[in-house]
Amino acid sequence: MTADGVAIRLDQVTKTFPGASGPAVGGLDLTVPEGGITVLVGPSGCGKTTTLKMINRLIEPSGGRLEVLGTEIHELPVHELRRQIGYVIQQIGLFPHKTIAENIATVPRLLGWDKARTRARVEELTELVGLDPEHLPRYPTSLSGGQQQRVGVARALAADPPILLMDEPYSAVDPIVRGRLQDELLALQSAVHKTIVVVTHDIDEAIKLGDQIVILEVGGVLEQVGPPEEVLRAPANDFVAGFLGQERGLKRLGLLTVGDAELVEGPVVAVGAAADEARAVMAEHGVDWVGVRDQRRLLGWVAAETLNGSTIGPTDLRAFAATVTPEATLREALDVIVGARSRVAMVQDDEKGYLGMVTIDQIAGGLEA
Amino acid sequence: MILGADKDSFLWWAWVEDHYDDIWAATVEHLQLTAIAIGVGIALSVPLAAVALRFRRTYGPIAGVAGILYAIPSLALFAILFPITGLTVLTAEIGLVGYTLLILIRNIVAGVEGVPAAVKEAADGMGYRPLRRFLTVDLRLATPAIIAGVRIASVTTVGLVTVTFVIGFGGYGGLINDGLSRNFNTPVVVGAGLSILLALAIDLILIIFERVMTPWNRVAR
Repeated sequence: MTADGVAIRLDQVTKTFPGASGPAVGGLDLTVPEGGITVLVGPSGCGKTTTLKMINRLIEPSGGRLEVLGTEIHELPVHELRRQIGYVIQQIGLFPHKTIAENIATVPRLLGWDKARTRARVEELTELVGLDPEHLPRYPTSLSGGQQQRVGVARALAADPPILLMDEPYSAVDPIVRGRLQDELLALQSAVHKTIVVVTHDIDEAIKLGDQIVILEVGGVLEQVGPPEEVLRAPANDFVAGFLGQERGLKRLGLLTVGDAELVEGPVVAVGAAADEARAVMAEHGVDWVGVRDQRRLLGWVAAETLNGSTIGPTDLRAFAATVTPEATLREALDVIVGARSRVAMVQDDEKGYLGMVTIDQIAGGLEA
Repeated sequence: MILGADKDSFLWWAWVEDHYDDIWAATVEHLQLTAIAIGVGIALSVPLAAVALRFRRTYGPIAGVAGILYAIPSLALFAILFPITGLTVLTAEIGLVGYTLLILIRNIVAGVEGVPAAVKEAADGMGYRPLRRFLTVDLRLATPAIIAGVRIASVTTVGLVTVTFVIGFGGYGGLINDGLSRNFNTPVVVGAGLSILLALAIDLILIIFERVMTPWNRVAR
Protein backbone atom coordinates (compact mmCIF):
# COMPACT_ATOMS: atom_id res chain seq x y z
CA MET A 1 0.00 0.00 0.00
CA THR A 2 1.17 3.49 -0.76
CA ALA A 3 0.44 6.33 1.59
CA ASP A 4 -1.76 8.24 -0.83
CA GLY A 5 -3.55 5.27 -2.42
CA VAL A 6 -2.00 6.00 -5.80
CA ALA A 7 -0.46 3.00 -7.57
CA ILE A 8 0.80 4.75 -10.69
CA ARG A 9 1.39 8.45 -11.20
CA LEU A 10 2.20 10.11 -14.50
CA ASP A 11 3.46 13.65 -14.30
CA GLN A 12 3.81 15.44 -17.64
CA VAL A 13 4.89 12.20 -19.31
CA THR A 14 5.71 12.53 -22.99
CA LYS A 15 6.78 10.15 -25.72
CA THR A 16 7.99 11.20 -29.12
CA PHE A 17 9.11 8.40 -31.41
CA PRO A 18 12.15 9.11 -33.59
CA GLY A 19 11.08 10.49 -36.94
CA ALA A 20 7.50 11.13 -35.85
CA SER A 21 5.96 14.49 -36.72
CA GLY A 22 4.38 14.92 -33.29
CA PRO A 23 4.40 13.30 -29.88
CA ALA A 24 2.61 9.97 -29.42
CA VAL A 25 1.91 11.07 -25.87
CA GLY A 26 2.18 14.73 -25.00
CA GLY A 27 2.46 15.88 -21.41
CA LEU A 28 0.13 13.36 -19.81
CA ASP A 29 -0.89 13.78 -16.16
CA LEU A 30 -2.69 10.80 -14.74
CA THR A 31 -3.10 8.97 -11.45
CA VAL A 32 -4.13 5.34 -11.23
CA PRO A 33 -5.67 4.56 -7.87
CA GLU A 34 -4.72 1.39 -6.03
CA GLY A 35 -6.95 -1.63 -6.16
CA GLY A 36 -9.17 -0.66 -9.06
CA ILE A 37 -9.44 -1.24 -12.77
CA THR A 38 -8.39 1.77 -14.84
CA VAL A 39 -9.13 1.53 -18.55
CA LEU A 40 -7.24 3.58 -21.13
CA VAL A 41 -9.50 3.95 -24.12
CA GLY A 42 -9.40 5.93 -27.33
CA PRO A 43 -9.07 5.68 -31.08
CA SER A 44 -6.00 4.38 -32.96
CA GLY A 45 -3.02 6.64 -32.44
CA CYS A 46 -4.25 8.03 -29.12
CA GLY A 47 -1.15 6.70 -27.37
CA LYS A 48 -3.00 4.36 -25.02
CA THR A 49 -0.70 1.40 -25.67
CA THR A 50 2.36 3.66 -25.61
CA THR A 51 1.22 4.98 -22.24
CA LEU A 52 0.74 1.46 -20.89
CA LYS A 53 4.12 0.29 -22.11
CA MET A 54 5.89 3.25 -20.56
CA ILE A 55 4.69 2.02 -17.15
CA ASN A 56 6.83 -1.13 -17.43
CA ARG A 57 9.42 0.58 -19.61
CA LEU A 58 8.86 -1.54 -22.69
CA ILE A 59 8.78 1.95 -24.15
CA GLU A 60 11.06 4.56 -22.61
CA PRO A 61 9.37 7.89 -21.88
CA SER A 62 10.93 10.90 -23.63
CA GLY A 63 10.16 13.16 -20.72
CA GLY A 64 8.23 13.63 -17.51
CA ARG A 65 8.07 11.64 -14.33
CA LEU A 66 6.44 8.22 -13.95
CA GLU A 67 6.06 6.63 -10.53
CA VAL A 68 5.02 3.09 -9.74
CA LEU A 69 4.06 2.47 -6.11
CA GLY A 70 5.77 5.70 -5.14
CA THR A 71 9.08 4.92 -6.86
CA GLU A 72 10.25 6.61 -10.03
CA ILE A 73 10.52 3.85 -12.62
CA HIS A 74 14.18 4.50 -13.38
CA GLU A 75 15.23 4.14 -9.76
CA LEU A 76 15.40 0.36 -9.96
CA PRO A 77 16.74 -2.04 -12.60
CA VAL A 78 14.23 -2.52 -15.38
CA HIS A 79 13.89 -6.29 -14.87
CA GLU A 80 13.05 -5.74 -11.21
CA LEU A 81 10.43 -3.16 -12.11
CA ARG A 82 8.85 -5.57 -14.57
CA ARG A 83 8.83 -8.52 -12.20
CA GLN A 84 6.49 -6.62 -9.88
CA ILE A 85 4.15 -5.69 -12.71
CA GLY A 86 2.10 -8.43 -14.32
CA TYR A 87 1.79 -8.05 -18.08
CA VAL A 88 -0.82 -9.49 -20.40
CA ILE A 89 -0.26 -8.70 -24.06
CA GLN A 90 -2.56 -8.46 -27.02
CA GLN A 91 -1.49 -11.59 -28.91
CA ILE A 92 -1.21 -13.44 -25.57
CA GLY A 93 2.40 -14.34 -26.36
CA LEU A 94 2.66 -17.61 -24.47
CA PHE A 95 6.02 -19.32 -24.80
CA PRO A 96 5.35 -22.02 -27.41
CA HIS A 97 8.28 -24.12 -26.22
CA LYS A 98 7.12 -24.26 -22.63
CA THR A 99 4.26 -26.27 -21.20
CA ILE A 100 1.29 -24.46 -19.69
CA ALA A 101 2.66 -25.13 -16.20
CA GLU A 102 6.08 -23.76 -17.21
CA ASN A 103 4.48 -20.72 -18.81
CA ILE A 104 2.61 -19.89 -15.62
CA ALA A 105 5.78 -20.47 -13.60
CA THR A 106 7.82 -17.99 -15.66
CA VAL A 107 8.19 -15.15 -13.19
CA PRO A 108 8.50 -17.35 -10.07
CA ARG A 109 11.39 -19.06 -11.86
CA LEU A 110 13.00 -15.73 -12.73
CA LEU A 111 12.63 -14.79 -9.08
CA GLY A 112 14.25 -18.07 -8.01
CA TRP A 113 11.33 -19.58 -6.10
CA ASP A 114 11.86 -23.19 -5.05
CA LYS A 115 10.02 -25.93 -6.89
CA ALA A 116 7.45 -26.76 -4.24
CA ARG A 117 6.39 -23.15 -3.82
CA THR A 118 6.23 -22.64 -7.58
CA ARG A 119 4.16 -25.78 -8.11
CA ALA A 120 1.73 -24.82 -5.36
CA ARG A 121 1.34 -21.35 -6.87
CA VAL A 122 0.76 -22.78 -10.36
CA GLU A 123 -2.01 -25.01 -9.00
CA GLU A 124 -3.57 -22.12 -7.13
CA LEU A 125 -3.60 -19.93 -10.24
CA THR A 126 -4.93 -22.72 -12.42
CA GLU A 127 -7.98 -22.81 -10.21
CA LEU A 128 -8.20 -19.03 -9.88
CA VAL A 129 -8.43 -18.44 -13.64
CA GLY A 130 -10.67 -21.44 -14.23
CA LEU A 131 -8.25 -23.57 -16.20
CA ASP A 132 -8.54 -27.34 -16.44
CA PRO A 133 -5.46 -28.81 -14.66
CA GLU A 134 -5.30 -31.42 -17.42
CA HIS A 135 -3.83 -28.71 -19.65
CA LEU A 136 -0.82 -28.08 -17.40
CA PRO A 137 1.60 -30.55 -19.03
CA ARG A 138 0.52 -29.58 -22.55
CA TYR A 139 1.96 -27.01 -24.94
CA PRO A 140 0.11 -23.76 -25.74
CA THR A 141 -0.69 -24.68 -29.35
CA SER A 142 -3.08 -27.36 -28.10
CA LEU A 143 -5.24 -24.75 -26.35
CA SER A 144 -8.06 -22.58 -27.70
CA GLY A 145 -7.68 -18.81 -27.76
CA GLY A 146 -9.82 -18.36 -24.66
CA GLN A 147 -7.84 -20.94 -22.71
CA GLN A 148 -4.57 -19.38 -23.83
CA GLN A 149 -5.84 -16.04 -22.59
CA ARG A 150 -6.56 -17.54 -19.15
CA VAL A 151 -3.01 -18.92 -19.09
CA GLY A 152 -1.73 -15.46 -20.02
CA VAL A 153 -3.54 -13.96 -17.03
CA ALA A 154 -2.34 -16.73 -14.72
CA ARG A 155 1.22 -16.18 -15.92
CA ALA A 156 0.95 -12.43 -15.31
CA LEU A 157 -0.36 -12.99 -11.77
CA ALA A 158 2.09 -15.75 -10.90
CA ALA A 159 4.38 -13.83 -8.57
CA ASP A 160 1.40 -11.97 -7.08
CA PRO A 161 2.41 -8.56 -8.49
CA PRO A 162 0.51 -5.60 -7.05
CA ILE A 163 -0.06 -4.21 -10.53
CA LEU A 164 -1.38 -5.87 -13.69
CA LEU A 165 -1.09 -4.28 -17.13
CA MET A 166 -3.30 -5.62 -19.92
CA ASP A 167 -2.81 -4.48 -23.51
CA GLU A 168 -5.96 -5.13 -25.57
CA PRO A 169 -6.27 -8.44 -23.75
CA TYR A 170 -9.36 -9.73 -25.51
CA SER A 171 -8.78 -8.64 -29.09
CA ALA A 172 -7.56 -12.10 -30.12
CA VAL A 173 -10.70 -13.99 -29.06
CA ASP A 174 -14.19 -14.11 -30.49
CA PRO A 175 -16.96 -11.93 -29.00
CA ILE A 176 -18.66 -14.68 -26.99
CA VAL A 177 -15.44 -15.79 -25.36
CA ARG A 178 -14.50 -12.13 -24.88
CA GLY A 179 -17.65 -11.47 -22.86
CA ARG A 180 -16.98 -14.50 -20.70
CA LEU A 181 -13.34 -13.55 -20.14
CA GLN A 182 -14.41 -10.03 -19.15
CA ASP A 183 -16.79 -11.49 -16.59
CA GLU A 184 -14.01 -13.73 -15.34
CA LEU A 185 -11.67 -10.77 -14.97
CA LEU A 186 -14.23 -8.92 -12.88
CA ALA A 187 -14.80 -12.00 -10.71
CA LEU A 188 -11.04 -12.47 -10.41
CA GLN A 189 -10.56 -8.84 -9.47
CA SER A 190 -13.13 -9.09 -6.68
CA ALA A 191 -10.92 -11.86 -5.27
CA VAL A 192 -7.45 -10.39 -5.78
CA HIS A 193 -7.97 -6.59 -5.67
CA LYS A 194 -5.03 -5.72 -7.91
CA THR A 195 -4.36 -2.39 -9.50
CA ILE A 196 -5.22 -3.21 -13.10
CA VAL A 197 -4.61 -1.01 -16.11
CA VAL A 198 -6.36 -2.15 -19.28
CA VAL A 199 -5.92 -0.73 -22.77
CA THR A 200 -8.77 -1.12 -25.22
CA HIS A 201 -10.26 0.61 -28.24
CA ASP A 202 -13.68 -0.78 -27.34
CA ILE A 203 -15.72 1.73 -25.33
CA ASP A 204 -18.19 -0.96 -24.25
CA GLU A 205 -15.36 -3.02 -22.84
CA ALA A 206 -14.06 0.07 -21.05
CA ILE A 207 -17.48 0.77 -19.55
CA LYS A 208 -17.93 -2.83 -18.48
CA LEU A 209 -14.51 -3.30 -16.89
CA GLY A 210 -13.49 0.12 -15.65
CA ASP A 211 -13.77 1.57 -12.18
CA GLN A 212 -12.14 4.55 -13.82
CA ILE A 213 -11.95 5.18 -17.54
CA VAL A 214 -9.40 7.43 -19.18
CA ILE A 215 -10.39 8.76 -22.58
CA LEU A 216 -7.49 9.76 -24.80
CA GLU A 217 -7.46 11.62 -28.09
CA VAL A 218 -4.87 11.21 -30.85
CA GLY A 219 -1.47 12.43 -29.68
CA GLY A 220 -1.98 11.19 -26.13
CA VAL A 221 -4.22 14.07 -25.15
CA LEU A 222 -6.29 13.44 -22.05
CA GLU A 223 -9.96 14.24 -22.69
CA GLN A 224 -11.71 12.91 -19.62
CA VAL A 225 -11.10 10.75 -16.57
CA GLY A 226 -13.75 9.36 -14.29
CA PRO A 227 -15.97 6.46 -13.37
CA PRO A 228 -17.77 5.21 -16.51
CA GLU A 229 -21.15 6.19 -15.08
CA GLU A 230 -19.99 9.77 -14.61
CA VAL A 231 -18.37 9.99 -18.05
CA LEU A 232 -21.54 8.68 -19.68
CA ARG A 233 -23.72 11.11 -17.70
CA ALA A 234 -21.59 14.16 -18.38
CA PRO A 235 -19.16 13.83 -21.30
CA ALA A 236 -16.56 16.58 -21.01
CA ASN A 237 -16.74 17.59 -24.66
CA ASP A 238 -17.92 16.67 -28.14
CA PHE A 239 -15.00 14.31 -28.70
CA VAL A 240 -15.89 12.27 -25.63
CA ALA A 241 -19.59 12.33 -26.49
CA GLY A 242 -18.79 11.19 -30.02
CA PHE A 243 -16.49 8.48 -28.80
CA LEU A 244 -19.08 7.20 -26.33
CA GLY A 245 -21.32 6.82 -29.35
CA GLN A 246 -25.01 6.15 -29.68
CA GLU A 247 -27.18 4.84 -26.85
CA ARG A 248 -25.21 6.63 -24.16
CA GLY A 249 -28.29 6.51 -21.94
CA LEU A 250 -28.72 2.79 -22.48
CA LYS A 251 -25.03 2.25 -21.70
CA ARG A 252 -25.49 4.10 -18.43
CA LEU A 253 -28.52 1.99 -17.62
CA GLY A 254 -26.22 -1.00 -17.98
CA LEU A 255 -24.12 0.37 -15.10
CA LEU A 256 -26.97 1.22 -12.71
CA THR A 257 -28.82 -1.45 -10.79
CA VAL A 258 -32.48 -1.71 -9.91
CA GLY A 259 -31.42 -1.32 -6.30
CA ASP A 260 -30.13 2.18 -7.17
CA ALA A 261 -33.52 3.28 -8.50
CA GLU A 262 -36.38 4.58 -6.42
CA LEU A 263 -39.06 1.93 -6.44
CA VAL A 264 -42.80 2.42 -6.17
CA GLU A 265 -45.22 0.31 -4.18
CA GLY A 266 -47.53 0.09 -7.22
CA PRO A 267 -51.08 -1.28 -7.43
CA VAL A 268 -50.89 -3.97 -4.80
CA VAL A 269 -53.37 -5.40 -2.33
CA ALA A 270 -52.95 -7.99 0.38
CA VAL A 271 -54.08 -11.50 -0.24
CA GLY A 272 -57.65 -11.88 1.02
CA ALA A 273 -58.53 -8.28 0.18
CA ALA A 274 -62.06 -7.48 -0.95
CA ALA A 275 -62.76 -7.19 -4.67
CA ASP A 276 -63.96 -3.62 -4.14
CA GLU A 277 -60.70 -2.65 -2.54
CA ALA A 278 -58.82 -4.16 -5.50
CA ARG A 279 -61.00 -2.18 -7.91
CA ALA A 280 -60.29 1.01 -5.99
CA VAL A 281 -56.52 0.42 -6.14
CA MET A 282 -56.74 -0.23 -9.88
CA ALA A 283 -58.71 2.96 -10.42
CA GLU A 284 -56.25 4.93 -8.36
CA HIS A 285 -53.32 3.72 -10.51
CA GLY A 286 -55.28 3.75 -13.76
CA VAL A 287 -54.61 0.09 -14.52
CA ASP A 288 -56.76 -2.98 -15.11
CA TRP A 289 -54.83 -5.36 -12.91
CA VAL A 290 -53.59 -5.55 -9.36
CA GLY A 291 -50.68 -7.27 -7.65
CA VAL A 292 -51.39 -9.46 -4.63
CA ARG A 293 -48.98 -9.93 -1.80
CA ASP A 294 -48.67 -11.54 1.58
CA GLN A 295 -46.54 -10.22 4.43
CA ARG A 296 -43.34 -10.76 2.49
CA ARG A 297 -43.70 -11.76 -1.08
CA LEU A 298 -45.61 -10.71 -4.13
CA LEU A 299 -47.70 -13.75 -4.95
CA GLY A 300 -49.09 -12.85 -8.37
CA TRP A 301 -51.68 -10.69 -10.01
CA VAL A 302 -55.31 -10.65 -11.04
CA ALA A 303 -56.93 -8.88 -13.96
CA ALA A 304 -59.99 -6.64 -13.48
CA GLU A 305 -62.26 -8.81 -15.64
CA THR A 306 -61.57 -11.91 -13.56
CA LEU A 307 -62.53 -10.25 -10.28
CA ASN A 308 -65.83 -11.88 -9.33
CA GLY A 309 -65.77 -13.14 -5.78
CA SER A 310 -65.95 -10.94 -2.74
CA THR A 311 -62.29 -11.57 -1.79
CA ILE A 312 -59.11 -12.46 -3.66
CA GLY A 313 -57.77 -15.90 -2.77
CA PRO A 314 -54.37 -17.34 -3.58
CA THR A 315 -55.90 -19.62 -6.23
CA ASP A 316 -57.12 -16.72 -8.35
CA LEU A 317 -53.61 -15.45 -9.04
CA ARG A 318 -51.50 -15.50 -12.14
CA ALA A 319 -47.70 -15.44 -11.86
CA PHE A 320 -45.71 -12.36 -12.80
CA ALA A 321 -43.46 -12.91 -15.78
CA ALA A 322 -41.80 -9.52 -15.39
CA THR A 323 -39.68 -10.00 -12.26
CA VAL A 324 -36.16 -8.76 -11.63
CA THR A 325 -33.74 -8.87 -8.70
CA PRO A 326 -32.29 -5.72 -7.11
CA GLU A 327 -28.90 -6.70 -8.56
CA ALA A 328 -30.21 -6.57 -12.13
CA THR A 329 -29.12 -3.57 -14.19
CA LEU A 330 -31.67 -0.93 -15.14
CA ARG A 331 -30.98 -1.91 -18.72
CA GLU A 332 -32.12 -5.46 -17.98
CA ALA A 333 -35.14 -4.10 -16.11
CA LEU A 334 -36.00 -1.93 -19.11
CA ASP A 335 -35.85 -4.97 -21.36
CA VAL A 336 -38.23 -6.80 -19.03
CA ILE A 337 -40.60 -3.83 -18.86
CA VAL A 338 -40.93 -3.34 -22.61
CA GLY A 339 -41.75 -7.04 -22.91
CA ALA A 340 -44.41 -6.99 -20.19
CA ARG A 341 -48.10 -6.28 -20.77
CA SER A 342 -48.26 -4.36 -17.51
CA ARG A 343 -45.26 -2.11 -18.41
CA VAL A 344 -43.75 -2.62 -14.96
CA ALA A 345 -41.19 -5.01 -13.52
CA MET A 346 -41.61 -6.49 -10.07
CA VAL A 347 -38.53 -6.32 -7.86
CA GLN A 348 -38.17 -9.36 -5.65
CA ASP A 349 -35.23 -10.28 -3.49
CA ASP A 350 -34.69 -13.86 -2.39
CA GLU A 351 -34.22 -12.82 1.22
CA LYS A 352 -36.06 -9.54 1.59
CA GLY A 353 -39.06 -10.50 -0.52
CA TYR A 354 -41.05 -7.91 -2.45
CA LEU A 355 -39.31 -4.55 -2.71
CA GLY A 356 -41.54 -2.67 -5.11
CA MET A 357 -42.06 -2.05 -8.77
CA VAL A 358 -39.91 -0.34 -11.33
CA THR A 359 -41.44 1.48 -14.28
CA ILE A 360 -40.13 3.51 -17.19
CA ASP A 361 -40.48 6.59 -14.98
CA GLN A 362 -38.23 5.18 -12.27
CA ILE A 363 -35.65 4.19 -14.89
CA ALA A 364 -35.67 7.66 -16.39
CA GLY A 365 -35.39 9.03 -12.86
CA GLY A 366 -32.38 6.81 -12.25
CA LEU A 367 -30.64 8.40 -15.21
CA GLU A 368 -31.21 11.89 -13.84
CA ALA A 369 -29.73 11.04 -10.46
CA MET B 1 31.26 -57.01 -62.49
CA ILE B 2 30.91 -54.48 -59.75
CA LEU B 3 32.16 -56.61 -56.93
CA GLY B 4 35.19 -58.02 -58.66
CA ALA B 5 37.85 -60.48 -57.68
CA ASP B 6 40.71 -58.48 -59.14
CA LYS B 7 42.36 -55.11 -58.84
CA ASP B 8 40.68 -53.58 -61.88
CA SER B 9 37.08 -54.19 -60.85
CA PHE B 10 34.90 -51.35 -59.58
CA LEU B 11 35.13 -52.51 -55.98
CA TRP B 12 37.71 -55.14 -55.10
CA TRP B 13 36.38 -56.65 -51.91
CA ALA B 14 39.64 -58.34 -50.94
CA TRP B 15 41.28 -54.93 -50.71
CA VAL B 16 38.51 -53.71 -48.47
CA GLU B 17 38.94 -56.67 -46.16
CA ASP B 18 42.69 -56.11 -46.05
CA HIS B 19 42.27 -52.42 -45.23
CA TYR B 20 39.58 -52.37 -42.54
CA ASP B 21 41.99 -50.63 -40.17
CA ASP B 22 42.82 -47.89 -42.68
CA ILE B 23 39.16 -47.37 -43.49
CA TRP B 24 38.30 -47.17 -39.80
CA ALA B 25 41.11 -44.69 -39.17
CA ALA B 26 39.88 -42.58 -42.10
CA THR B 27 36.34 -42.72 -40.69
CA VAL B 28 37.48 -41.54 -37.25
CA GLU B 29 39.57 -38.75 -38.76
CA HIS B 30 36.71 -37.68 -41.00
CA LEU B 31 34.29 -37.58 -38.09
CA GLN B 32 36.71 -35.70 -35.87
CA LEU B 33 37.46 -33.05 -38.48
CA THR B 34 33.74 -32.64 -39.17
CA ALA B 35 32.72 -32.53 -35.50
CA ILE B 36 35.38 -29.99 -34.55
CA ALA B 37 34.47 -27.81 -37.54
CA ILE B 38 30.74 -27.84 -36.69
CA GLY B 39 31.36 -27.41 -32.96
CA VAL B 40 33.71 -24.47 -33.39
CA GLY B 41 31.48 -23.09 -36.15
CA ILE B 42 28.49 -23.03 -33.80
CA ALA B 43 30.58 -21.59 -30.96
CA LEU B 44 31.66 -18.71 -33.21
CA SER B 45 28.35 -18.24 -35.02
CA VAL B 46 26.15 -17.82 -31.94
CA PRO B 47 27.99 -14.77 -30.57
CA LEU B 48 28.45 -13.33 -34.08
CA ALA B 49 24.73 -13.79 -34.75
CA ALA B 50 23.95 -12.25 -31.36
CA VAL B 51 26.02 -9.20 -32.25
CA ALA B 52 24.36 -8.99 -35.67
CA LEU B 53 20.92 -9.19 -34.05
CA ARG B 54 21.71 -6.69 -31.33
CA PHE B 55 23.45 -4.19 -33.60
CA ARG B 56 21.68 -4.47 -36.92
CA ARG B 57 24.31 -2.50 -38.82
CA THR B 58 26.91 -5.16 -38.14
CA TYR B 59 24.88 -7.87 -39.86
CA GLY B 60 25.92 -6.75 -43.34
CA PRO B 61 29.67 -6.74 -42.62
CA ILE B 62 29.52 -10.00 -40.61
CA ALA B 63 27.56 -11.81 -43.30
CA GLY B 64 29.81 -10.23 -45.93
CA VAL B 65 33.02 -11.55 -44.40
CA ALA B 66 31.43 -14.97 -43.85
CA GLY B 67 30.28 -14.87 -47.47
CA ILE B 68 33.79 -14.12 -48.74
CA LEU B 69 35.16 -17.04 -46.69
CA TYR B 70 32.43 -19.21 -48.15
CA ALA B 71 33.33 -18.14 -51.68
CA ILE B 72 37.09 -18.90 -51.51
CA PRO B 73 37.83 -22.16 -53.35
CA SER B 74 38.80 -24.69 -50.70
CA LEU B 75 42.02 -25.80 -52.40
CA ALA B 76 43.14 -22.18 -52.65
CA LEU B 77 42.30 -21.50 -49.02
CA PHE B 78 44.45 -24.39 -47.80
CA ALA B 79 47.23 -23.24 -50.10
CA ILE B 80 47.07 -19.74 -48.61
CA LEU B 81 46.98 -21.01 -45.03
CA PHE B 82 49.66 -23.66 -45.42
CA PRO B 83 52.67 -21.26 -45.27
CA ILE B 84 51.20 -19.63 -42.14
CA THR B 85 49.91 -22.48 -40.03
CA GLY B 86 51.64 -25.44 -41.65
CA LEU B 87 50.47 -29.01 -41.98
CA THR B 88 48.38 -28.86 -38.84
CA VAL B 89 44.86 -29.60 -37.76
CA LEU B 90 44.56 -25.86 -37.25
CA THR B 91 45.04 -25.25 -40.96
CA ALA B 92 42.40 -27.81 -41.79
CA GLU B 93 39.95 -26.47 -39.23
CA ILE B 94 40.38 -22.79 -40.13
CA GLY B 95 39.25 -23.70 -43.60
CA LEU B 96 36.46 -26.03 -42.55
CA VAL B 97 35.10 -23.69 -39.87
CA GLY B 98 35.23 -20.80 -42.32
CA TYR B 99 32.83 -22.59 -44.63
CA THR B 100 30.26 -23.22 -41.87
CA LEU B 101 30.00 -19.63 -40.67
CA LEU B 102 27.85 -18.13 -43.41
CA ILE B 103 25.27 -20.91 -43.26
CA LEU B 104 25.17 -21.02 -39.47
CA ILE B 105 25.06 -17.26 -38.88
CA ARG B 106 22.33 -16.74 -41.46
CA ASN B 107 20.21 -19.52 -40.03
CA ILE B 108 20.61 -18.37 -36.45
CA VAL B 109 19.73 -14.79 -37.37
CA ALA B 110 16.75 -15.88 -39.47
CA GLY B 111 15.61 -18.27 -36.75
CA VAL B 112 15.74 -15.66 -34.00
CA GLU B 113 14.06 -13.09 -36.22
CA GLY B 114 11.32 -15.62 -36.83
CA VAL B 115 10.45 -15.87 -33.13
CA PRO B 116 7.07 -14.15 -32.79
CA ALA B 117 7.38 -10.54 -31.61
CA ALA B 118 4.63 -11.18 -29.08
CA VAL B 119 6.72 -13.88 -27.41
CA LYS B 120 9.75 -11.59 -27.20
CA GLU B 121 7.62 -8.77 -25.83
CA ALA B 122 6.04 -11.08 -23.28
CA ALA B 123 9.49 -12.25 -22.17
CA ASP B 124 10.69 -8.65 -21.79
CA GLY B 125 7.51 -7.70 -19.97
CA MET B 126 7.91 -10.62 -17.54
CA GLY B 127 11.33 -9.27 -16.60
CA TYR B 128 13.74 -11.51 -18.51
CA ARG B 129 17.20 -9.99 -18.70
CA PRO B 130 18.52 -9.73 -22.28
CA LEU B 131 21.09 -12.55 -22.16
CA ARG B 132 18.72 -14.98 -20.48
CA ARG B 133 16.01 -14.14 -22.98
CA PHE B 134 18.40 -14.67 -25.90
CA LEU B 135 19.60 -18.04 -24.63
CA THR B 136 16.41 -19.54 -23.22
CA VAL B 137 13.73 -17.98 -25.41
CA ASP B 138 15.13 -16.66 -28.70
CA LEU B 139 17.69 -19.40 -29.40
CA ARG B 140 15.47 -22.09 -28.00
CA LEU B 141 12.60 -21.16 -30.30
CA ALA B 142 15.01 -20.78 -33.22
CA THR B 143 16.12 -24.39 -32.73
CA PRO B 144 14.46 -25.73 -35.89
CA ALA B 145 16.10 -23.05 -38.08
CA ILE B 146 19.44 -23.48 -36.34
CA ILE B 147 19.41 -27.24 -36.75
CA ALA B 148 18.43 -26.80 -40.38
CA GLY B 149 21.60 -24.69 -40.73
CA VAL B 150 23.71 -27.27 -38.89
CA ARG B 151 22.40 -29.96 -41.25
CA ILE B 152 23.46 -28.03 -44.35
CA ALA B 153 26.79 -27.08 -42.76
CA SER B 154 27.45 -30.70 -41.76
CA VAL B 155 26.78 -32.13 -45.19
CA THR B 156 28.95 -29.43 -46.73
CA THR B 157 31.73 -30.04 -44.21
CA VAL B 158 31.72 -33.82 -44.70
CA GLY B 159 32.34 -33.17 -48.40
CA LEU B 160 34.99 -30.53 -47.73
CA VAL B 161 36.94 -32.68 -45.31
CA THR B 162 38.00 -34.86 -48.24
CA VAL B 163 39.85 -31.85 -49.66
CA THR B 164 42.06 -31.54 -46.59
CA PHE B 165 44.15 -34.42 -47.96
CA VAL B 166 46.23 -31.68 -49.59
CA ILE B 167 47.63 -30.80 -46.17
CA GLY B 168 47.91 -34.38 -45.03
CA PHE B 169 44.50 -35.05 -43.50
CA GLY B 170 41.41 -35.73 -45.47
CA GLY B 171 39.65 -38.64 -43.75
CA TYR B 172 38.07 -40.45 -46.65
CA GLY B 173 39.80 -37.90 -48.88
CA GLY B 174 43.05 -39.75 -48.16
CA LEU B 175 41.56 -42.95 -49.59
CA ILE B 176 40.19 -41.12 -52.62
CA ASN B 177 43.54 -39.44 -53.31
CA ASP B 178 45.38 -42.70 -52.86
CA GLY B 179 43.17 -44.42 -55.41
CA LEU B 180 43.29 -41.57 -57.90
CA SER B 181 47.07 -41.34 -57.78
CA ARG B 182 47.44 -45.07 -58.44
CA ASN B 183 44.61 -45.29 -60.97
CA PHE B 184 43.02 -47.79 -58.59
CA ASN B 185 39.21 -47.74 -58.34
CA THR B 186 38.50 -49.40 -55.04
CA PRO B 187 39.79 -46.80 -52.52
CA VAL B 188 38.11 -44.06 -54.54
CA VAL B 189 34.77 -45.89 -54.45
CA VAL B 190 35.11 -46.74 -50.76
CA GLY B 191 36.16 -43.20 -49.81
CA ALA B 192 33.48 -41.45 -51.84
CA GLY B 193 30.76 -43.94 -50.92
CA LEU B 194 31.48 -43.79 -47.19
CA SER B 195 31.71 -40.01 -47.33
CA ILE B 196 28.20 -39.88 -48.79
CA LEU B 197 26.91 -42.39 -46.23
CA LEU B 198 28.48 -40.40 -43.40
CA ALA B 199 26.80 -37.22 -44.62
CA LEU B 200 23.45 -38.97 -44.79
CA ALA B 201 23.92 -40.54 -41.37
CA ILE B 202 24.77 -37.21 -39.74
CA ASP B 203 21.78 -35.64 -41.44
CA LEU B 204 19.49 -38.36 -40.13
CA ILE B 205 20.85 -38.01 -36.61
CA LEU B 206 20.26 -34.26 -36.74
CA ILE B 207 16.68 -34.76 -37.92
CA ILE B 208 16.06 -37.04 -34.94
CA PHE B 209 17.86 -34.58 -32.66
CA GLU B 210 15.59 -31.78 -33.84
CA ARG B 211 12.51 -33.82 -33.05
CA VAL B 212 13.81 -34.55 -29.59
CA MET B 213 14.74 -30.92 -29.01
CA THR B 214 11.42 -29.45 -30.15
CA PRO B 215 8.73 -31.44 -28.35
CA TRP B 216 6.33 -28.49 -28.69
CA ASN B 217 6.26 -28.96 -32.46
CA ARG B 218 5.10 -32.53 -32.12
CA VAL B 219 1.84 -31.93 -30.27
CA ALA B 220 -1.29 -32.87 -32.12
CA ARG B 221 -3.62 -29.94 -32.35
